[in-house]
Amino acid sequence: MEQLLEILEDIQPDADYENCETLIDDGILDSFAILSIVSELEDAFGVSVTPAEIVPENFNSAKALWAMVCRLKEEA
Amino acid sequence: MSLISMKFVVFVAAAVFGYYVIPKRFQWVWLLLFSYIYYASSGVKFLFFLLFSTLTTYGAGRLLYAVRTSCTDKKKARFYGRIIVVCGLFLNFGMLAVMKYTNFVILNINAVFGTQIDLFSLLLPLGISFYTFQSTGYVLDVYWGKCEPERNVLRFALFVSFFPQILQGPIGRFHRLAGQLYAEHTFDFQRIERGLELILWGFFKKMVLADNAGVFVSAIFSDTQNYAGLSIFGVLGYSIQLYGDFSGGMDVVQGISNLFGITLDDNFKRPYFARSITDFWHRWHITLGTWMKDYVFYPVSLSGWMNRFSRFAKKRFGKSIGRTLPICLANLIVFLVVGIWHGAAWKFIVYGLYNGIIIAVSGLLAGQYRSWKKALHINSSAWWYQLFQLLRTFLLVNISWFFDRADSVPQALEMMRNAVTTFTPSELLSIPVQQNGSTAMTAAVLVILAAGCLMLFCVSVLQERGICVREVLAKRPLVLRLAVYLALFFALPCLGQPPSLTGGFIYAQF
Repeated sequence: MEQLLEILEDIQPDADYENCETLIDDGILDSFAILSIVSELEDAFGVSVTPAEIVPENFNSAKALWAMVCRLKEEA
Repeated sequence: MSLISMKFVVFVAAAVFGYYVIPKRFQWVWLLLFSYIYYASSGVKFLFFLLFSTLTTYGAGRLLYAVRTSCTDKKKARFYGRIIVVCGLFLNFGMLAVMKYTNFVILNINAVFGTQIDLFSLLLPLGISFYTFQSTGYVLDVYWGKCEPERNVLRFALFVSFFPQILQGPIGRFHRLAGQLYAEHTFDFQRIERGLELILWGFFKKMVLADNAGVFVSAIFSDTQNYAGLSIFGVLGYSIQLYGDFSGGMDVVQGISNLFGITLDDNFKRPYFARSITDFWHRWHITLGTWMKDYVFYPVSLSGWMNRFSRFAKKRFGKSIGRTLPICLANLIVFLVVGIWHGAAWKFIVYGLYNGIIIAVSGLLAGQYRSWKKALHINSSAWWYQLFQLLRTFLLVNISWFFDRADSVPQALEMMRNAVTTFTPSELLSIPVQQNGSTAMTAAVLVILAAGCLMLFCVSVLQERGICVREVLAKRPLVLRLAVYLALFFALPCLGQPPSLTGGFIYAQF
């Protein structure tokens, strides 16, 4: 989780990733940021993210992102 | 059947009356019937294209479901699923490409190779760009498991052909729209009133703003030599015309849908208040933007070949640029498609790429911008900085409108040059607003246009501040509401251009 927070902070600083649960709904993460995060997640955790995974529910909070990473790691 | 005609008013009135009189379980059948009557009114032969799109995407959805439920081998299921999707997309986009781009390709072959291949006399079926995108989006949603496929082919046919939106969108999503189309709706006077209110507001934007601005725009863009000093007014007028026309059309479409108890996706959110080109595309033709994002941008960015390019770029240019470069490339592809979608002409391709390049460069320099702002102590929420962003974006958007509206790229460039070198505003009064129209009439139309823009601007500012003008109005007494509706209603023939002179909606030709 800490590594994920570092990735988020690096790509889009100045957001409260620990508490915010509306990263997509409030426009904090745009499509460029989402794809940058996906690119880093693929490198850092060896997961493969498909277009079907790119839904607000998976990107609205750091927790949701982490849950997606864990699920994709299990499925791999 | 034009949206601005007595025939269409009678058609909608009959559709709404019947909708609430017949047993509720048949309401969706009634809508389907009226949707097909509406489509057939543009030419019975065009029904073939609508049926082709409906049946192939319905079939693809059913086949995908069959593969998912019956194939136990995951690898095989994925392989078959991919084949079904590719076939479904190929058939539908193939039909769109043949109908829309055949002559463009022939013209370019003739120009490059000096051949004289005859052009085909192809008439573009009504709304083909919109229903092709809507139905192919459904196929991809089923493939990705984002929605369950529809079992009933007739119900699916309604999703593709729902008459208010088939002409110019918004491009609907199955999981948000289908349920509403098939649901039973009871008569609700308040909803009908709100729907009619939105229709009136839409026609006001179209007939009073767009059509009045269109008179000047047509004159200036069709005689760039004589009106060289008015180029700047030409493009500003076009920004009013296009917004009034398209967003007004969307209000009419949304209002008609409301009469049936159906709410469509929003297509506009005060685009001229955007603070960047990216923001602009989040506010202008929203459903096209989100369609492109979900079905082109993400799949291209996450494709195998883009992954390989990403790894190469990271090694070659470092982590940050290497990560962003493939996204910028995917973004350019998206805007190339957006340009091509807008029409079969090089000017539209330039229009698309112009937008794509600005967004790509902004993406690449995002980190730089952050450090520059920090170094210069710029507060992003300061009013002057936000105003600067707004004006900068408006300027960039207006440059793109030159490509969109001019006949060709050279004409667009010539008008851009004129816009900064020649300025003769008094010539505006020499543009006749009607046949044998006087200078006084032109001045009157300019005043009407300015007042209309001011009214729209005030409404937009209130909306930007979170105040819903329609909700405020809804709380006022009926007499006051009626007065507003009557004022809007009578403004249409008194202040707008006659529909016989201005033609239909711009986006209805797509």
